[in-house]
This record gives sequence, C-alpha cells and structure tokens, in this order.
Amino acid sequence: MTDGPARVPGQRAAAIWGVLATVLVVVSSIGVFLVAPEDADQGIIQRIFYFHVAIAIASLVAFAVACVAGILQLRTRDERWDDVGEASIRIGLLFSVLVVITGSIWAKASWGTWWVWTDPRLVTYLIVVLIYAAYFVLRSSVEDDRRMRYSAIYAIAGFASVPLSFYSVRVAESFVHPVVFTSSGANMPGSMLWWFVVSQAAMICLFVALLELDLLGRRSERALRRLAMRLESA
Amino acid sequence: MSGGAQYVVAAYAVIWFLVLAYVVMLGARTARVGRQVEAMMRMLDRRDAERSDSETAEDRT
Repeated sequence: MTDGPARVPGQRAAAIWGVLATVLVVVSSIGVFLVAPEDADQGIIQRIFYFHVAIAIASLVAFAVACVAGILQLRTRDERWDDVGEASIRIGLLFSVLVVITGSIWAKASWGTWWVWTDPRLVTYLIVVLIYAAYFVLRSSVEDDRRMRYSAIYAIAGFASVPLSFYSVRVAESFVHPVVFTSSGANMPGSMLWWFVVSQAAMICLFVALLELDLLGRRSERALRRLAMRLESA
Repeated sequence: MSGGAQYVVAAYAVIWFLVLAYVVMLGARTARVGRQVEAMMRMLDRRDAERSDSETAEDRT
C-alpha cells in the first residue's frame, strides 16, 4: 500500500487563521448587536457601520497585499507571488462588493436613496472596484509568463486608485458620506470605537484566513498536476 | 421589526451569505482536489500490485 496523501504546506496556517477569524467574527457580532451603545442620531441603522467600514479597510489591505505581491513577483519571477496577488485581489473584490451593497443599504435607510452620484467617496470607491474587476479581464486575455508579468504590473498600477478613494472624501468640499476617522482622532465614543477595533481585527483575520485557504487550494492543485505528470511519464 | 432593523438585518445577511458562498466555493475546490488525489492513490496501488504480481510470476518461471 502507498502512504496517505502528503500534507500540503499551509494547512496548519489556514486552520489557525480560520479558527481565529471565526472566533473574532462571533465575538464582534455579539459586541456589535448586544453590547455596543446605540447611536443617538441614527439609532440601530448605525450598527451597519462596524462591519461596513471594517470590510472597506480590509479590502484596501487586500489590494495593498496584491501590490506588494506584484512587486515581489516582478523581482523574483516566482509564480507563488502571482498566486498571492490574484487571491488577494479576488478577496479584495469580494469585500468591495460587500462594501458597495452594505453602503447602499445604509444610504437607503439613512439618506432615502440607494446611491448618490455626486458623492466623491461613493464614486471613487466604485472606480476602484471596476479597476480591480478589470484585473480578471486582463488575466484571462493573456497566458503563462506574460499573464504573471502583466498582472503584477496591473496590481501595482491599480493600487494608485486606493489613495484616490481614501482621500477623496477629505479633499472634497461638499459630500454626504460622513468622515469618522480624521487626523484629530475618531468621531465616536470609546465604547463604539472598541467594538469597531474588534470588528476590524475580525475582518483582517477573515481576509488572511480566506487568503490561506485559497493559496492552499492552489498549492494542492499544483502538487496534483505535478504528481499526474510524474505518473504519466513513469 | 422596525424600519431601521430590517436594513441592518439585510446588510448583515448579505455579508454572511456572500462570505459563506465564497468559503463553500473554496471548500468545493479543496474537496475536488482531495477526490483526485484519492483516485491517483488508488491508481498507484493498482500499479504496484500489478508490478508485484508480474515479478512473482517471473520468479516462478
């Protein structure tokens, strides 16, 4: 009999991050719904803020990781960095879609409309989403080594749109989207800020867990392809 | 349910549904790779068994 399947590198890391993300998501959900004080101005609707903003920041972190992976891919030509870049952008895009949907729901509840085209934060964030969606169009249009190179360059160039979205709301003179975090600190009480920090940690852990799980699948597929080739040639 | 609560429930339902769907998608890929590894292991076992049978037959002759 042959031995059992070999352990693929990263299984333990994926499991640890998965458990950590699950625990933090459960704790933050309990905190957001049962412990955090209700906002005097917006009431219960404000509870969307905790995950909406945390996911938005996590999506920008995902795009930053893809940018760094792109730089490392160009320097080393290692396909593993291409995997990290693609997986990060895929997760970042999932998070971005969640930000747009939850933001629209919050806008409908708070402003009475699903979308405001004149708001710089909303429009620039949508541009960021479209730029990163185009990344997958690029990937599917070229192959092999060129795909890795072009994808890395696009991930680096695409990251330029992130500060544009982040600072748009700060430099624009008229807007409806609120700014909670300013240079003078957070515009919220400490009890709300605490649960926001827990939610943010949960979303970052969720990103890392999804990234590890995605990379684990890619490594397994690659190992399987190599094994199949060896079997065919034997 | 109050007017505000239904929006909060909708927002969190969308988040958990899409994240769960993504995890299920990744899990399905991992399960497919696992099935392919098992099939390959069975193929290897069969090949090893055939080799040992033929070696035994050669020893007898």
